[in-house]
Amino acid sequence: MTAALTVECRDLSVNYGRVRAVDGVSFSVGTGEIFGLLGPNAAGKTSVIRALTTVIDPSGGDATVAGEPLSRPERVRRYIGVLPESNGYPSSSTALSYLRFYGQLFGLPAPEASSRGEALLDQLGLGPNGNERIGTFSRGMRQRLGICRALINRPTVLFLDEPTLGLDPAGQQETLTFLGRAASEEGMSVVLCSHLLDEVERVCDRIAIMDGGGIVADGTVDEVVESAGMGATTRLRVEQGAVAEAVVKLQACPEVTHLDIDAGCVGEIEVETASGLDTNEILRPLLDANIGIRSVDVQGARLSDAFFALTGSPKKSS
Amino acid sequence: MTTLPNSGSDGSLHGLWRAIASQELRELWFSAKGLAVLFGYTLLMSVMSYIAASEASLNLLDARESVGIIVRVTIAFGTLAAMVVSADVISGERERGTLEALLVTPVSRRDIVIGKLLAASTIWVAVVVVSVPYVLVLARGPGVMADALLVTVIAGSLVAAALTALGLAISAISFSNRVSLATSFAVLLLLAAPSQLPAVTASGVLGSILIKANPVSAGLSLANAVLVDQKSWGSQWQLLISPSVGAVILTLVAIALSRRLELGGAR
Repeated sequence: MTAALTVECRDLSVNYGRVRAVDGVSFSVGTGEIFGLLGPNAAGKTSVIRALTTVIDPSGGDATVAGEPLSRPERVRRYIGVLPESNGYPSSSTALSYLRFYGQLFGLPAPEASSRGEALLDQLGLGPNGNERIGTFSRGMRQRLGICRALINRPTVLFLDEPTLGLDPAGQQETLTFLGRAASEEGMSVVLCSHLLDEVERVCDRIAIMDGGGIVADGTVDEVVESAGMGATTRLRVEQGAVAEAVVKLQACPEVTHLDIDAGCVGEIEVETASGLDTNEILRPLLDANIGIRSVDVQGARLSDAFFALTGSPKKSS
Repeated sequence: MTTLPNSGSDGSLHGLWRAIASQELRELWFSAKGLAVLFGYTLLMSVMSYIAASEASLNLLDARESVGIIVRVTIAFGTLAAMVVSADVISGERERGTLEALLVTPVSRRDIVIGKLLAASTIWVAVVVVSVPYVLVLARGPGVMADALLVTVIAGSLVAAALTALGLAISAISFSNRVSLATSFAVLLLLAAPSQLPAVTASGVLGSILIKANPVSAGLSLANAVLVDQKSWGSQWQLLISPSVGAVILTLVAIALSRRLELGGAR
């Protein structure tokens, strides 16, 4: 990574009384990078976010955010935007007055806070609702308003805990596209906590998977998937008359560890391969032999598969 | 990068208590909470004033006593309302999930507490404003209008300031809104209890100390002494000591506790 670091977290620990919620977590986030922090419930993600946003004091380790150490929390808060996991809203305020208020808390004059608020509401599709009371907003609208609030000070680092919670698929897509653009065009770093692994896979430059308070894997999505050491299973569907020829070709492929013909589904062959194998390697001999391929479904090479494998979820054991 | 004015040496932003207070005022008065309190108080005052005026006109109750009752009810109700509102401002925000967003802004914790304290105090101001016509009408007969208003504004405001600060301090250290409200209510009842002591006990040394040392009973006793017993302000000045000291000390305690303003709650 060549970009300057905006978040550096070294051996960070968080205790709640005698319970250790975060145990020696280290990672870094570069300028303009979207970093995904994943993990099952109680993995320690929210505690890491709360420590980095100075809401709770870490029990050990240290970190810098936007170049400021956590020991100077007031300075850190100037440069961060935060959307907490369980964010509440004042129901009697309008969306615009709410954003103006938060803009003022970052030292913006009221007119500037208002104009920034209006621009953000427009960008996140809430422009026509600016003067409506928040109490009348749907959950998805509130979530988008929360993202607007987190962006009101044009933060150097944006911390988002489940930002697409309550959003419909179109809203999720718009929000993620907006965040991706903000990161790439404005150089804003984003630390994103989410349970939606597909969205993380789509937008995050790098990720860390947490479990039991520690990081069990980190890197790019491909690196994490590879580190999970999972073999891939590819379900191929070929022309009905070409199954036998396809099986012969696949058996000749040294990376293929197991083959199975699905009797229940005509033309379908299940191919197990070693970890890290490019799917193209098993498709090439079939294409060279002019065998028509109707569909390809790769399992075990997705972030979700790696996540379940690394965090010991029920899916793995089953 | 945003230019941030008013920044202190620690990097936090100061002078933003006005923005906090404005937002709190909007939440208090544009929602049903503040108006419901005032509506309830107006209803109570109307009923009590009617009863007091009727009994005074039938000579069942001394006219001065009816003024004393109304002023004491104003102080007791206004103080209770302000304390309940202030007891909710931090612990309530914790429960509603709005505190975390506030804590991650660079505004100083002290400004957060000062802004919230000022906004909660407006409940008392509103109660006083509503009480003025009732007090004036009842006090016109016995000719104690000035004394009645002075007791309400001076003694009442000191007691209200002390207990609003106490409510906020309790709210800051309570991680449950229910605990904060229950504790505040219990403390208010405890403080008001000495004012209900029988006259014989109250005039004793211990009773006198109990009444003068606590702001609530001292304020209520001042109303009784000046308006009902016709004692001069000069002879009763000691009854203003504990409300004054209480207002200053408890406000300072609430501001000092702002350093411990934490999110608390679950992981």
